[in-house]
Amino acid sequence: MLWVAIGILLKILVVVSIALGTVAYLIYVERKVAAYAQDRVGPNRAGKELGIPFGLLQPLADGAKMVLKEDVIPGYVSRPLYMLAPVIAIVAAMIGFAVVPFGPVGPNQIMNFQIAPNINIGILYVFAIGSLAVYGIILAGWASNNKYAFLGALRSSAQLISYEIPLGMSILGMVLIAGSLDLNQIVNWQDRRVWGVVVQPIGFLLFLVSAFAETNRLPFDLPESEQELVGGYHTEYSAMKFGMFFLGEYLHVITVSYLTVLLFFGGWSLPFHLLNQNQIGFLSAVFKVMVLLFKVALMILFIMWVRWTLPRFRYDHLMDLAWKSLIPLSLVNLVATAAIVQLIYSSR
Amino acid sequence: MANPTISRPEWSTVIDSVLQKELEQHVLVTSWDKLLNMVDTVYNWGRRSSLWPLGFGLACCAIEMICTASSRFDIARFGAEVFRGSPRQADLMIVSGTVTKTMMPMIARLYDQMPEPKYVISMGACATGGGPFKEGYNVVSGIDKYLPVDVYIPGCPPTPQALLNGLIMLQKKIDGEHITNAPWYRGDVERDIPIPVLGPDLIDLRTVELTAERTALGLAEVREADLPKPSKIPAPQPEAEVVDASGNGAVGAEAAKPPSKIDLIRAKARGETLPAAGSAAPAAAAAPAAAKPAKKGKRALARPSLVWLGDEGLKELAARLDAELGAGTVSIVQAGLLVAPEKLVAVALYLRDKNPIKYDYLASLQSVHYEDCIEINYQFDSTIRPGSLIELRVRTAEAEGQGEVPSLYQVYRGADFQEREVFDMMGVRFTGHPELKRILMWEGYAYYPLRKDFLEPYYEAPAKVFPSRVDEGFGQHFRAEEVNPHGTNLKVPQGFTDWASLSSGSDPKGQPLLPGAIDVQELGTDQFIVSMGPQHPSTHGVFRLNLRVDGETIVGLKPVMGYMHRNHEKIGERNTFLMNFPFTDRLDYLTSMGNNFGYALAVEQLMGEDSRPPERAEYIRIIMAELTRIASHMWSIGFLLNDLGAFFTPALYAIEERELILDLFEWAAGSRMMCNYFRFGGVAFDLPPGWIERCRGVVNDRIDKKIDEFDRYLSQNEIVLDRCKGVGVLTPDQAINYSTAGPVLRASNVAYDIRRAAPYSIYDRFDFDVITGPNGDLYDRYYVRLLEMRESAKILKQAVRDIPDGPILPGKKSYQIKVPAGEAYSRVENPKGELGYYVVADGSGSAYRYHVRSPSFINLTALEPMCLGHTIADVVGILGSLDIVLGEVDR
Repeated sequence: MLWVAIGILLKILVVVSIALGTVAYLIYVERKVAAYAQDRVGPNRAGKELGIPFGLLQPLADGAKMVLKEDVIPGYVSRPLYMLAPVIAIVAAMIGFAVVPFGPVGPNQIMNFQIAPNINIGILYVFAIGSLAVYGIILAGWASNNKYAFLGALRSSAQLISYEIPLGMSILGMVLIAGSLDLNQIVNWQDRRVWGVVVQPIGFLLFLVSAFAETNRLPFDLPESEQELVGGYHTEYSAMKFGMFFLGEYLHVITVSYLTVLLFFGGWSLPFHLLNQNQIGFLSAVFKVMVLLFKVALMILFIMWVRWTLPRFRYDHLMDLAWKSLIPLSLVNLVATAAIVQLIYSSR
Repeated sequence: MANPTISRPEWSTVIDSVLQKELEQHVLVTSWDKLLNMVDTVYNWGRRSSLWPLGFGLACCAIEMICTASSRFDIARFGAEVFRGSPRQADLMIVSGTVTKTMMPMIARLYDQMPEPKYVISMGACATGGGPFKEGYNVVSGIDKYLPVDVYIPGCPPTPQALLNGLIMLQKKIDGEHITNAPWYRGDVERDIPIPVLGPDLIDLRTVELTAERTALGLAEVREADLPKPSKIPAPQPEAEVVDASGNGAVGAEAAKPPSKIDLIRAKARGETLPAAGSAAPAAAAAPAAAKPAKKGKRALARPSLVWLGDEGLKELAARLDAELGAGTVSIVQAGLLVAPEKLVAVALYLRDKNPIKYDYLASLQSVHYEDCIEINYQFDSTIRPGSLIELRVRTAEAEGQGEVPSLYQVYRGADFQEREVFDMMGVRFTGHPELKRILMWEGYAYYPLRKDFLEPYYEAPAKVFPSRVDEGFGQHFRAEEVNPHGTNLKVPQGFTDWASLSSGSDPKGQPLLPGAIDVQELGTDQFIVSMGPQHPSTHGVFRLNLRVDGETIVGLKPVMGYMHRNHEKIGERNTFLMNFPFTDRLDYLTSMGNNFGYALAVEQLMGEDSRPPERAEYIRIIMAELTRIASHMWSIGFLLNDLGAFFTPALYAIEERELILDLFEWAAGSRMMCNYFRFGGVAFDLPPGWIERCRGVVNDRIDKKIDEFDRYLSQNEIVLDRCKGVGVLTPDQAINYSTAGPVLRASNVAYDIRRAAPYSIYDRFDFDVITGPNGDLYDRYYVRLLEMRESAKILKQAVRDIPDGPILPGKKSYQIKVPAGEAYSRVENPKGELGYYVVADGSGSAYRYHVRSPSFINLTALEPMCLGHTIADVVGILGSLDIVLGEVDR
């Protein structure tokens, strides 16, 4: 029992530190992607003194600066809530990782690449936690006592709550088809049959759009929309508190990318059964982790690419999209999937 | 490192040298200093590699700052491309442009809001020391009067390379910092900057007592008492009794003191001998005339503009008005109609509604301070028969605060801001104007700066070159600001005592005055006021919007401007005509060639046939103007998309093309942005060899393709359509009534383009279409600009094909030109709209009155009706589609 606890703690430590490191580098990658999208070079000086190319040390410089910067707490803010908001933002983003499998999970595997393995309601948990993140933003906006932050918080509360619904419903089709809420089972089903994106194309699109909105990424980055609200909910935050919102946002991106890949792109499996799922062994496990990571990286790059390409939606259009298009469509998709699944099930 | 506060272990002295050597070989031995140095290295490296600038631009330099982020220069290489809109997240303040008094409190506040460690780069001559606008009454002569500056970058504006160099210099400075003596860790140091206040004049709170003392002594008045005052000329009279000697009258007034060397220079420039003595202007007018009776002041041909109604038409119109509204309503004065103030509204209504040529477009409105009256000038044009420009004159009492004229607000809404400007600058009240407040200066400012009797704090002499700056022997040299009793840049009215009321909380510019609430919803919601700007990522400079919002719906909007008011017109009245060219560059700093063009035309109109540009010069002018149009529209489309949320990508692609055009400018004129290329009667230099080929290459190979690319990727983009269609609609009637101009007017389906309506230069020779949009919404304004770039490319191809060889100036280059007395209004179709220059010359070396009809400023009048009922996101887009440039809005 003690060893299990230590093992889990170790796993948490590893996952959290890797996640934070990755997030730091994601910001670097985003800046590079932006540079290439805009025909520029991007950061390439940091680290040159040590002979490290491509500005690879840029995230470290940003981090060092942020940590050492004066942490301004304006006099007019509501102090406890102001301090709490970034904590909620990053914690909510972080504990969602508990059930995200980073590699093959199962009773037979040599190692479970998941902090809390074999939870059969894993996906529900992810959404439950994911929706907590909105509190971070609302509190930040409210506590800042700043009009731009307030507007940002208003926007984000409406946006995130609206998009929870299509997001939740878009995956139900996949859940129905695989017959389980367990992400592991869903991946296994896809490996046996076909990738989720093929059987649930509408579900995938709905999920993708809602996921962009959930992560506050362009074209749905209304809560912070720089051109309108300066910084939105984080206008009054400086130094590492601001950095925590930043980290939280990118953690969200990672979680969403993992979910997309697990639900619709076969997780750690390769198409045409190129990778035998039943094979158990260290090498195969590592290979599967690599496959999953590769897919996730592509997904993250896609999200970034979109950000540097599209203009922003307007707030009321965003609401229209959620309530008039996405929610009815996801309902239809759900009912249709349920009917088809029932037909196939009963015909067997 | 001799810092006593840090206790250092003393063991290095105790251990003997042999043992120390042994230890150093086997153990890592370091000293406290060395350790601190290592910490310093990491600590400094983190900050130097991650300098996030505050997204904050003041004036022309900000354009170069943005260019530094574009692909050719790419400030991102240094990790400094993360421009933060919120000062809380920024490390570096780049003060990019002219710091005005109106803006100074905001800048100090922004600086205080930035967390330590923070750095300031003073970019450009203006931020460093006031630059070319130093003598302005609203300009702070250097940001370092208030903020500690780390790096100064010279230049006007500094090129992007210079900014990058400045950044590297700052990095070097950071490298030399030590964690032990970093000032921001010392608790005892109060690092907050006292925020200056806009009182009677900008007051640095540190010097309130000193200022109070000096004001009580009346030092400003004492100083002003013996300064040479500008002279006033009498207003022009009806034809029969034209005052010939008016030009000489002005000369006489300056001779109040014994002739100095500079007076001799000036007099020589005018081609006169210096009068022996004289007193006040009108009395002295006879004296010089007597001294040289043979000389008669030359007058320019009387006509308001190059293309106008004509003498016959004007007489006919005057007769018609007399018949309609009673005899004696109007009289013809110097090709304009002089109207009695009480009949003004009736005349305007008749002209707008009943006249055969319906004068529905108020092109421009300005005022002149004459010796015996203040004259308000109105230029009207007709969108139905464009090119029939007429001028109305109304005269009112000259004394300060006495002038009163009926407002044309109800007839032409476009008069709104222009009347406020006249009120602000001349003190003339407009009865019937619903909101007659100062617009460029702040409420509580004690003076009317464009009156001739206003002497600004830096006042040195009525005209440049200032005697105090001419070296009249060693030890004689001083600058006027050094003898200003209130120190630099400060003037407080005599008798001002209310020092206690000056607190940093008061900001007279910020009083929101908004119309009553409009009921949008029956829900019981509260409204609140958002002040957008003057530092905001989407206001295109230091522009401010006071919004009243219900949720996100706009129910009231008031533009607040003046944060960039750098006294262009006042300075223009002291410059010689030629010296004013570089200042026009800095009006709309994206279109310097176009600004030059308009100004050159105005003065050439006064100078008459002598200054007709040769063929080649005309072609060069057209090429430059059209290249400018493409560059400006590129910028505008890119940043419209940026305002819609497409993070800089379209903007940076647009800037790529603009850079190529700027290269051409730099090659021909010597400067990227501030070209200063036009001269009266031609251009400054001939085109260098190879220029035409390169220009042809850029137009054919790059610009056409880029326009296609924009069209392909943006015009049909779902989100762009969604955001732009039906937003910010301006109906044709509204667009005309609000005096909008340029693409904004044409997008509302009014085919009014000065190049066609009143062809200037040789535009009548080129084949191009006037582009109009059907709906007058945001999308049309975008698309009209896109298509106009195609038309410009078309003109360019024709011009590059046909350009002849030959001279570029009618005579030889001259540094001092003779401009006969007279009055001219010239207008060009600048990328932003109708750019008008109104110049009154008195026969001396500088303009008596110099006014700019700036399209950006007047287009803003229509902002409120376009925005009401839309959301905050739309306001940003609509403002982007108006394409304002603050240098031109505030002048």
